[in-house]
Amino acid sequence: MTSVPQDSTTQVSTPTANSSGLDVLKHQFQQIWQVLAALVLIYLVFFTLSEPFRSLDTLLSIFGQASILAILACGTTVVLISGGLDLSVGSIFAVVGVVVGIVLAEYQLSVPVAVMIGLATGAVLGAINGTLQVFTRVPAFIVTLGGLTAYKGVAEILASGRDLSRFPESFQMLGSGYLVPMLIMFAVALLTGLFLTKTQLGNHAFAIGGNEEVARLSGVNVRKSRIYYYMIGGLMAATAAILEVSKLNFAMPARGQSYELFAIAAVVIGGTSLFGGRGGVGKTLIGMLIMQTIIVGLSYMGVGTSVQRIAIGAIIIMAVYWDVWRRGTR
Amino acid sequence: MSQFDGPNVIFEARGISKHYGGVVALEGVDLELRQGEVLAIVGDNGAGKSTLIKALTGAIAKTSGTTHMDGQEVQIDSPAAAKDAGIETVYQDLALVNELSITKNVFLGREILRKDLLGRVFGALDFAKMDREIRDLFQKLDIRIADIYREAEAFSGGQRQAVALSKTVMFGKRIAILDEPTAALGVRESKMAMDLVSSLKDHGLSVIMITHNMQHVLQYCDRVMVLRLGQLAAVRDVKDVDGDTLVGLITGAIEDRAA
Repeated sequence: MTSVPQDSTTQVSTPTANSSGLDVLKHQFQQIWQVLAALVLIYLVFFTLSEPFRSLDTLLSIFGQASILAILACGTTVVLISGGLDLSVGSIFAVVGVVVGIVLAEYQLSVPVAVMIGLATGAVLGAINGTLQVFTRVPAFIVTLGGLTAYKGVAEILASGRDLSRFPESFQMLGSGYLVPMLIMFAVALLTGLFLTKTQLGNHAFAIGGNEEVARLSGVNVRKSRIYYYMIGGLMAATAAILEVSKLNFAMPARGQSYELFAIAAVVIGGTSLFGGRGGVGKTLIGMLIMQTIIVGLSYMGVGTSVQRIAIGAIIIMAVYWDVWRRGTR
Repeated sequence: MSQFDGPNVIFEARGISKHYGGVVALEGVDLELRQGEVLAIVGDNGAGKSTLIKALTGAIAKTSGTTHMDGQEVQIDSPAAAKDAGIETVYQDLALVNELSITKNVFLGREILRKDLLGRVFGALDFAKMDREIRDLFQKLDIRIADIYREAEAFSGGQRQAVALSKTVMFGKRIAILDEPTAALGVRESKMAMDLVSSLKDHGLSVIMITHNMQHVLQYCDRVMVLRLGQLAAVRDVKDVDGDTLVGLITGAIEDRAA
């Protein structure tokens, strides 16, 4: 080793602090261009095959249908990046829907208060998952599978014998139409993206998901961080639930069924690793749009829901296979 | 007592033991580190070398024993406590997260936050400052890694080890503890890594280093301690031993009266 400070390798590819922003953008585009291309391709296929598919309304309804699930999936993205798994978010969704319904319909509290109570409920239920998993060392799969059925039971008990509908008009505005849910989806995705890339806790999600032991030895408080990630997952499930209750103008404990699987599917199709350490929320949005485009496109072509489910299942397996294959070739 | 034992003892451990149920991994090991020296820990597989440094750095809970910094007892019961005491450790195979960039790896667990409201409330990171500090550090240590935004996975074993070692200069205020810094490195990369280890003392660090390479002990270290079956077998000044003696001490062919 010589002691010349500036050799040719340093000069060629050293980005200065100024150019780093552009580099980061370039890097992020490299990460998502493949799934983005897949989305455009799938859209174009249906565009060619189906006459009624070719309308702005269809495009809007894809975004509209994607938005509530995409919000939920933003939370799932954070949990999966950190190497965790939360199967209970669909049931958290149900509990929050019922809780918000009760608060509005029975106690007639103001809309902001109801929203706050709903979000807090989601965060607490998520934190319970995280805490149980971190301190009992029972695998996330089992803890949150337990949460899936237990929270569902809670939602049913809370809702039994109650008529949870006809909410104030100001509440109904939140989830009505395409525009507001879509804007909320983009806002949530942006905030989640900033959290993951710009904050300490967000960066630790990648570290813990990448190599938990290295993170621990580097002084990261792994347990505490994990609990936060599950809380964020619960918070996002709550946000999605509030929007759906508002859109439907009723709440019932059966809502949210299998939403956790749709969320995981979108995250994985987008290219976030199921093994942790890699991924991003932009990918998840694209993954969700891919899924909804396929569902909407197939329905326009007269393909029934059963076949749609088979198609989505096949795509999930292909997406994970791709992830596994990519890991194997590194 | 201990403070009169040798010149400038900055760190010492007394009676370190680690039992796993009935299995004794370490029994009553003493260790003494002097200012500015490189202390080698050698021993056969299973002699307790890695267990010892993990117990010293709070990575595992020790069964018994005490640690002292400048003669004062310090409790080191977690990796964070070791760092607070000024000890920076490079664990074998557990130095870097593959998925993180070089910058994020070096600062993992000790990220620099922005000084403004975003930093204080949301823990927003000051990437510009971290990048600057890393470039300064790499220049100071003559580490040639330009693309600090790339994932650690993309770099060679030697480069990765250089990055891991640079963390000890960045954060180790007193002591660097290294678990086989040249394991899995080629000859040329080993030399680069060992030159870097030697330069650590120029940055005010004292070094404890596990190694299997007797040549490295003789060439780069000041003193050597030999572990055998979880116990301290010998401590020698490197200038007083040769490779054969060391091997004899490691295998037990030579018994050390002093130990």
